[in-house]
Amino acid sequence: MLKIQDIHVYYGAIHAVKGVSFQVNQGEIVALIGANGAGKSTILKTISGLMHPRSGSITFMDQDITHTDAYKLVRHGLAHVPEGRRIFLQMSVQENLEMGAFTQKEVSKEELERVYTLFPRLKERRKQVAGTLSGGEQQMLAMSRALMSKPRLMMLDEPSMGLAPILVDQIFDIIRELHKAGTTILLVEQNASKALEIADRAYVLETGTLTLSGTGAELISSDEVRKAYLGG
Amino acid sequence: MDFLQYTINGISIGAVYAIIALGYTMVYGIAKMLNFAHGDVIMVGAYISFSVTSYLHMSPYLSILVAMVGCVVLGVVIEALAYRPLRGAPSLAVLITAIGASYFLQNAAQLIWGSDPKNFTSIVIFSPIKLFDGQVTITGEVLVTVITCIVIMIALVLFTEKTKIGKSMRAVSEDRDAAQLMGIHVNRTISVTFAIGSALAAIAGILLCSTVPTLQPTTGSMPGIRAFTAAVFGGIGSIPGAMLGGLVLGLVETFTKGYISTQFSDAVVFLVLIVVLLVKPAGLLGKNIQEKV
Repeated sequence: MLKIQDIHVYYGAIHAVKGVSFQVNQGEIVALIGANGAGKSTILKTISGLMHPRSGSITFMDQDITHTDAYKLVRHGLAHVPEGRRIFLQMSVQENLEMGAFTQKEVSKEELERVYTLFPRLKERRKQVAGTLSGGEQQMLAMSRALMSKPRLMMLDEPSMGLAPILVDQIFDIIRELHKAGTTILLVEQNASKALEIADRAYVLETGTLTLSGTGAELISSDEVRKAYLGG
Repeated sequence: MDFLQYTINGISIGAVYAIIALGYTMVYGIAKMLNFAHGDVIMVGAYISFSVTSYLHMSPYLSILVAMVGCVVLGVVIEALAYRPLRGAPSLAVLITAIGASYFLQNAAQLIWGSDPKNFTSIVIFSPIKLFDGQVTITGEVLVTVITCIVIMIALVLFTEKTKIGKSMRAVSEDRDAAQLMGIHVNRTISVTFAIGSALAAIAGILLCSTVPTLQPTTGSMPGIRAFTAAVFGGIGSIPGAMLGGLVLGLVETFTKGYISTQFSDAVVFLVLIVVLLVKPAGLLGKNIQEKV
């Protein structure tokens, strides 16, 4: 479904991603784990078209999207929930969801109902300005907003960041549910144990290079991963 | 009775500032840049209207339409040629480009229409309303200006709150990258913003010259700066703020001219601006939203 081949990405002179290749198959949950600054978010931004690689190629649903701009990719069925949620704080919950459905002809009632069933809290607060939501609710809104575009592949960047443990569990339950409902997922996480638990396959990224890959279970039991990311 | 007359005149000129300020504030809110050429687009709008009526002898109402279309094209072209290539460049570079665009328009106008002042014929045909045995006069221009201003403000608020394009403009204004991830074409949204701002500039130019009939290449410059002040004063990025800022500025200017001195009016206007910004740095209606983490 998504194939990344040998991409090199730069921030000005800084070589942030150094020849990364991997793929995500239809129906999978793939996790990308690694320390802060390893280049995980850069890879997601490059896939979603907010940044472009200097070399290498990205194909999505058999189409070359290496140099396609972000706003066009949403129509291809690619959704990116960025790091730090980036919801529209001054707009209401409902308006945020409407923006999520921007590429649709109209805001579909079923989609809205589906999102509100997944996140009843958002329904209660649909008229509220998004900036007044709690951190967990904001993360739920960011995910719902992405769902409104009816994505085939959803990329989540640090969905558990800054959340209390009970909320982290809730967010991961929801990711499982979305996956069950047919959305393919590419997950970037610093919370490696949680991510590996739900991932079909995972890749470990260190300073811009992929160093390990395997199934979630394989990586959880790998010594290197345990030492570096799971606290021994 | 002077007081009443000054208030009426102040509201009228304030309404013109408000319409200009709306252009500044919308462009700032969405493109995050100060379009210093905005004041000169006003002047071009007035010249187009003047040319259509005086040289082509067509109806003044048609001239409003032609001026609006002309300014929209001008605004969108300036944005595409001068500002868009600098997207992502340091804001100082964009600011200097905007100042350059401003001088370019002034010089181009001088080349096309000459530097001698033209006498602009008011587009308003209503006769003045006299109150209190003629002690207070409300001219047709005042009425038309104030009504136009109110209509524009309501229309803009409805547009940004209710329509899909309006909402997407607010999204771009808040977070450009996140807006792109929604599928919003940011460059197109910015063009639409420039188009709206420039159409308003044309209207403002015609209203301004209907009240103060001298038209020359620098006509837009000072009102442009005052309107920019009004936008900052009300809280840049805020539509009601631009409105309020414009009105306050118009009133301060007129009262200073009436009670203190004509020469001092700009000094007092900017003094008030400084005081307001010291007390409320975001402007009167500026948004300072608290973010929860």
